[in-house]
Amino acid sequence: MSLVVVILIQASFYALLATGYVLIYRSTRVLNLAHGELMVFGAFVFYQALTMFPGSPATAVVAGLLGGALLGALVYFVVMRPLAGYPVAVGVLATIALSILLRSLITAIWSGQTRYPAELLGARAAPWDLPGGIALTPIDAAIVAAAAAALLGLPLMLQRASTGVAMRGVAENAVLAAQRGINIHAINAISWGAAGLMATLAGIFFAVKVRLGPDIWIVGLAGFAPALIGGMDSLRGVALGALIVATAEVLASRYIAPQFALAAPFLVLLVALWIRPWGLYGSREELERV
Amino acid sequence: MSVFRGNPGTLKTTHAEDSALLPTWFVRFWAAVAILVLLAAPYVLNSFWTGIVNQTFIALIGALALNLLMGTTGQISLGHAGFVGAGAFTAAALITQFDAPFGVNLLAATVVGAILGVLVGLPALRLKGLYLAVSTLAAHFVIVVAMGQYQSSVSYGAGFTMPAPSFLGWELSGERRWFYFLLPVALLTLLVHVNWLRSAFGRAWMAIHHRDVSASALGIDTARFKLLAFSASTAVTAFSGALWGYYTGFVSVEAFDIHLLIQYLAIVIIGGLGSVLGSVLGAAFVMTVPHLIARAAEGVPALKAMGASVFELQIGLFGLIMLLFILLEPRGLAGLWFRVQAYFQLWPFRFRAWER
Repeated sequence: MSLVVVILIQASFYALLATGYVLIYRSTRVLNLAHGELMVFGAFVFYQALTMFPGSPATAVVAGLLGGALLGALVYFVVMRPLAGYPVAVGVLATIALSILLRSLITAIWSGQTRYPAELLGARAAPWDLPGGIALTPIDAAIVAAAAAALLGLPLMLQRASTGVAMRGVAENAVLAAQRGINIHAINAISWGAAGLMATLAGIFFAVKVRLGPDIWIVGLAGFAPALIGGMDSLRGVALGALIVATAEVLASRYIAPQFALAAPFLVLLVALWIRPWGLYGSREELERV
Repeated sequence: MSVFRGNPGTLKTTHAEDSALLPTWFVRFWAAVAILVLLAAPYVLNSFWTGIVNQTFIALIGALALNLLMGTTGQISLGHAGFVGAGAFTAAALITQFDAPFGVNLLAATVVGAILGVLVGLPALRLKGLYLAVSTLAAHFVIVVAMGQYQSSVSYGAGFTMPAPSFLGWELSGERRWFYFLLPVALLTLLVHVNWLRSAFGRAWMAIHHRDVSASALGIDTARFKLLAFSASTAVTAFSGALWGYYTGFVSVEAFDIHLLIQYLAIVIIGGLGSVLGSVLGAAFVMTVPHLIARAAEGVPALKAMGASVFELQIGLFGLIMLLFILLEPRGLAGLWFRVQAYFQLWPFRFRAWER
């Protein structure tokens, strides 16, 4: 039973990451391999704010989210906008270059030292004992709640809010959307900003739960596996993709060997790409058999 | 597709003249000068810089292979570091298990690389662009974890020490001996690579790059040539990995992480995708510049105080340079060179009339 809870928490964390990948892919058709660095950056802004205002964690969270969102929008305007219309491979390579640049900037600003923001937040709250012998810490509960809110709220926003409708329009056909008076660059920047925000949210959770350091980008990178399995342009697929990857990872680390935890998402991804390259709910684009 | 673009003023009257690798006396002269300079290099440079040149040779072999796949065939591969590692690990494993000789290990690494290439290339028959990139990146992680698993089970995680190899009774120890071994190997790889590009293989690969559907309409078996490109690329990559293992004398899984992949991507992007000259320039640039920066940083106390972070800054600088090349000059250093060349060839005109 506790295994189910562990999988659920891990899946929620992956869902937070994967929504960022999906938001960016929907708007600009770029697989953002610098997502892990967006996550680390936002988490470090959160940490910085936390050391400056130790009394109010809420301020720190807001500052972190704002920092991550601004960096996301900045990346769009500086790097991605000039590359619009290039083959997808160019975008992927650009984000790889961007990722190592950001990583070294983060290291230069905050040094490579590992931090534990949980210590700054005071003594870790005692876990709640739920029926069935399950212990749930508040941070784990917050991860699950945030993922649930994101998975329910984002599709709702895309359906109802005018910005959301514009985002769907741009995702569908950017040229046509521009013709109809939608400011596609603003919409794309919002998508990137929202992705940076989601990445930061995941980063803050990871920093508080485990640790914070420039090396945790690899955790953020792993988020593309659930996004691809679910379908790169489908928010609906994220939940299922995250669940599949989390299950594979937790089971592999528990029943095979802990070292397999890193490889498991990618092995699942390879199998998924072989069977259904466009993902569970993704649209079949650019994929014809030759 | 020759290494050197011939002088546009040269009239070619036979097919042999047209396909000559070194078309004019001018080019032949400078090629000979370059070879002589290279042959004399170990006696001019000190041991440290000879080592840098040696590393450049090995990087060049790997970069040519990556460029063949990414630049020529247009199949993006992010599994390159894994393939380099696979080659090094094949050699290390054969030494540990069977004490196999140098030549056998190099050959075995090449064969293992070719087989891996077919396995990783199979998804390329269905996947394109982004999805292919991701599947090769996933393959990278799987290969690295498998290598780590092997390393911890055989050598208790310590890595493998490689013996100094001997080639035709000539023991390869010291930078100078390695130089005279690696120079012909690198030149030979370059020649093989250029000839691949000039033959039916190269034409098929370039056709697939431009549009695989029209390539197959022209009668090219795209599936076969895609697999061939993957297989040839990974075979040469694994070969360079085995060389690298022998050269450094130590093989451990940590050396083949994502930083190595980024290094190779930096070589082909900074050098110029799809250009042989680009691979050469890129390899020289990426292998030399960090040491120049390190030398320059020694004089700056502020940088010296940062200690280990300087390494991070160097990697970040590569990120910045890669990004600038992607944004401003996608043809890389080779593109810059062609621009300079065109400027002098066409002066006082700006461009050839028939190019527009």
